[in-house]
Amino acid sequence: MKRKDRPVAGRALPGNESILRQLWRDPMGRAGMIGVGLVILMALLAPWIARFDVAKMNSKAKLAAPGAEFWFGTDHFGRDVFSRIVYGARVSLEVGIVAVGIAAGFGYLLGMIAGFFEGRTETLIMMVMDVIFAFPSILLALFIVSALGTSILNTMIAIGIVNIPVFTRTVRASVKTVKSTDYIANARSIGLKKMKILFRHVTPNVLAPFTVQATLALSGAILTEASMSFLGLGIQPPNPSWGSMLSDARKYMERAPWLVLFPALFIILTILSFNILGDSLRDVLDPKLKL
Amino acid sequence: MRDYIIRRLLTLIPILIGVSIAIFVVMQLIPGDVVSGILGIEETPELRAMWEAKLGLDKPLIQQYFSWIGRAVTGDFGESFRTGAPVFPEIMNRFAISAELAILACIIAWIIALPLGILSSLKRNSFIDRIVRVVALLGVSVPNFASATLLILFFSKAFHYYTPVKYVGLFENFGTNMEIMILPAFILGSVMAGSVMRMTRSSMLEVLRQDYIKAVRAKGSPERVTIFRHAFRNSSIPIVTLIGMQIGALMGGTVVIEQIFSIPGLGQFTLTGISQRDFPVVQGCVLFIAFLYVMVNLLVDILYTFIDPRISYS
Amino acid sequence: MKKLFAVLLAMMMLLALTPLSLAEENVLRYGVDADAAGGFDPHTISAVASMRMIGQMYNTLVDVDENLNVIPELAVSWEQPDDTTYIFHLAKGVKFHSGRTMTAQDVKYSFERILDPATGALGNSSSYAGDIDTVEALDDETVKITLKNINAPFLANLSSSYCSIVDRDVVEKNGGSLLLADGGTGPYTLGEWVPDNSITVKAFPDYFDEAGKATFDAIEFYVLTDASARLAALRTGAVDLIVADTAMLDLVENDDSIQTISYQSRNYTGLFLNVNRAPFDNPLVRQAINLALNREEIIDFAFNGKALVSGFVPASLGHWAVDVTENEYYTQNLEKARQLMAEAGYANGFETEIIVGLLDSIRDTGLVVEQQLGEIGIKVNVQDVERGQYLDAWNGHNFDIMVCQNGAGSDPSRAVAFFFKTGSSANIQDYSNARVDELCELAVATTDTAKREEYYKEAINIILNDCIVAIVASPQEYFLASTALQGFAPSASNANNFSGVTLTR
Repeated sequence: MKRKDRPVAGRALPGNESILRQLWRDPMGRAGMIGVGLVILMALLAPWIARFDVAKMNSKAKLAAPGAEFWFGTDHFGRDVFSRIVYGARVSLEVGIVAVGIAAGFGYLLGMIAGFFEGRTETLIMMVMDVIFAFPSILLALFIVSALGTSILNTMIAIGIVNIPVFTRTVRASVKTVKSTDYIANARSIGLKKMKILFRHVTPNVLAPFTVQATLALSGAILTEASMSFLGLGIQPPNPSWGSMLSDARKYMERAPWLVLFPALFIILTILSFNILGDSLRDVLDPKLKL
Repeated sequence: MRDYIIRRLLTLIPILIGVSIAIFVVMQLIPGDVVSGILGIEETPELRAMWEAKLGLDKPLIQQYFSWIGRAVTGDFGESFRTGAPVFPEIMNRFAISAELAILACIIAWIIALPLGILSSLKRNSFIDRIVRVVALLGVSVPNFASATLLILFFSKAFHYYTPVKYVGLFENFGTNMEIMILPAFILGSVMAGSVMRMTRSSMLEVLRQDYIKAVRAKGSPERVTIFRHAFRNSSIPIVTLIGMQIGALMGGTVVIEQIFSIPGLGQFTLTGISQRDFPVVQGCVLFIAFLYVMVNLLVDILYTFIDPRISYS
Repeated sequence: MKKLFAVLLAMMMLLALTPLSLAEENVLRYGVDADAAGGFDPHTISAVASMRMIGQMYNTLVDVDENLNVIPELAVSWEQPDDTTYIFHLAKGVKFHSGRTMTAQDVKYSFERILDPATGALGNSSSYAGDIDTVEALDDETVKITLKNINAPFLANLSSSYCSIVDRDVVEKNGGSLLLADGGTGPYTLGEWVPDNSITVKAFPDYFDEAGKATFDAIEFYVLTDASARLAALRTGAVDLIVADTAMLDLVENDDSIQTISYQSRNYTGLFLNVNRAPFDNPLVRQAINLALNREEIIDFAFNGKALVSGFVPASLGHWAVDVTENEYYTQNLEKARQLMAEAGYANGFETEIIVGLLDSIRDTGLVVEQQLGEIGIKVNVQDVERGQYLDAWNGHNFDIMVCQNGAGSDPSRAVAFFFKTGSSANIQDYSNARVDELCELAVATTDTAKREEYYKEAINIILNDCIVAIVASPQEYFLASTALQGFAPSASNANNFSGVTLTR
């Protein structure tokens, strides 16, 4: 146990192959990888999988039940739910990935700066983070979208900003751990520049919590987008996101349950996959992470 | 300990000032303002001027901010631009409701998650462990507006049941109040349960690996005692942290559920404030939520010293 | 842990023991889609959701019936010595909710309050009471109002809640605001408002008009923003009446315990084009847009078929309306539309933005229009914006195309002049046509209905043929109610008319 407290470059950053192999060996990890893989594949191949134009309306097929022509049925515009689900994977993943990218990027930078400089800079950064954190994420996201205007980019920015503090904290904690260890002092005595040392040694140490955090934040982002759609501040129609499809479908839940069933199913499967993958990743990378 | 608390409370001041400035600036940047909401389609330049004068919006921005903050430090959060009602008492009313909902949700989350988390850690990597983890995650995976709508539909169709439509306070009628709150709390709780379960499991796993647990076991103490008195107690710090964070996040974070179930909570108050551009309401709500968040975290830190006597603050 | 379980168990038992809350004796429980916004001051509140309660709490001098005839309310009769003078004879024994008897002085005070700039009253415009010069109380029961100029629809406009008669004492006691107070004479008084949950109005026993007296001990309005939650509440008997969404109508078709009630609104939904921006400054483009629309299809998709093809003066305005189906731009003709686009120099189309928001039917209209305009090469980006941004676009006249749902009022002075006269505050397109302006002025300056109709019809046709708007439909409004509810007959003039309504439980 004690041994693990000391960051060892070799363990913290094992070869990619070995991580994947270890994940695959764990049945949960395997399930998560397959699930995430399928969703990504669906998003990438959307133009080839989708059977209809996602915006194409059909007055003769309003609220059609699932069948041979419309596999997942149609909505109140007669649009094909299957095609919208397939393209929705793109939008939902895009929102998740970009939002988490924004959060992770800024979080990494701010965490580094805070951990490195300490003192006033750190206090200031962490205070701003506390302020962001202190605000319920959905309300903060709504606030940001109200200010910037509704668009897919602004939705991503809003969800991104909301998630910055978590990443900042993770990175700062790692920086502090690394700074206190002997080998930083050693490296310093060798004469390496401080900043360089940090980037070189902190990055591998941060990677584990970071990856895990990212998979979790990604599923959180997909859910936040759904809630924002519900409150009328989601992405712009006629682009489908699973969240907006689900929100639009509530009125028709009783008459056309497939409108709720399929987006819900795909949201659940995706989030489940990402979470399971995140869990297993943590077990593989660093079992004592508490995220 | 006392010094520590005072020091922590002092950090509140810059946070609250920061939040209040941020909100003020954002409210200026947001398109639309309270006057266009009041006048709607009837807006004319003359009417707009009247209302701006009436609400003090014709004054310079800096002056507007300082006149607000000047009153705020005396505990007066001003009056709603829309109704003219004082903001602070309304925040208090709503806070009581949201707090009740959040606490109930937490209790439900604990009831679901703690036993499952402990079970799952004891049977690590077994079939049961996997099932438990997936089930716990299911709660997190469904957007809560969808599960709420589904439950409402289900209860109305299957049992001809709808939660009481008229809100009554906890102290007016305990039974009815519980009946109103239980379904929304259950939905929120099932979402929280996932992360509580995950945290319980990993904390337990870590503690169970420790040498002293092995020692206790070797001593021959019953497994139940080992798990609850030793392992669980020692793994409860991160769990308490998480619960603290979640209660904080639930303040206002319950807005979707509040809206669907018509619960007059803090989240809806803030949301209405934002959509009506009712600056005093938004400012008051946000500051209060920020204050609460800091307090809950402080409380959590103090709680640590009770759970683990080794922790002390100087 | 054990204690926790014990507490929880106790809670559950209490829950089980609480008897299901029985409906109170004679209370109408009404599930509405939005909370009262801002409060209940009849002079300063424009929110439709608040009007539901204001309508029960306040009276106006006169009312307008379904056929747009002016009928007595607080004034039993009136005469017009000349075109700018009105003398109203007030009903006897009208009591304010405070118990005080209403006199001509109160009527005078109410209009003074509306005209006082400090009030910021919505009725302070020539669409309502803005043209009033003086108000005199001739005696306790007679009021004389003189106008600055002839204003033909003045009498009808007095039926607006913006012209409600209010209790001076209550206004003054509440610092000049009636937002959270009740200074009315109506059949119900304001009870409790639990924001985001419910509003209660209680019967006022001393209401002056026997026929209009409260039939319920109270009306409880429940804020159920979610349409499916409203339907569930109605089905389970938690409420007796709900504001319906057209999407739920066929779900209750075979339900014997639920009745459907509807009326044809005086609202219309359609496209407003920014005539000062290219390419919408080109009449050919505007004509092409009108010809590209298939209005029946929009009604089918966005209104579930529950709307009438309409112009900006809907058929529910009776003789004022123009039959738009005869208008050449109301029948879809894609070929001609494409030809006009080519003529205008847009053979390959163009890209534009359409702003939608506020209502599902507005959003859905925008989405169908996006598809339909795509047929003639116009690439439309739908901008579904939040309320504040929507109002900003409206007030700032900042849009390419905006989908709006407007109320046509009860007189074309609203439907035509308010939206299309040069410089009018609601002329968001900054449309300016000298002849239309002239006709609007002529029509207000005469009280000869036949003449007015002639003027307005000419103006309507000019605007229609200028194609500056592409109005689609006038929606029907729906309610669902328990079959126990009897006598509820909403109309465009009074959608929440509960006089004579009963529940037979």
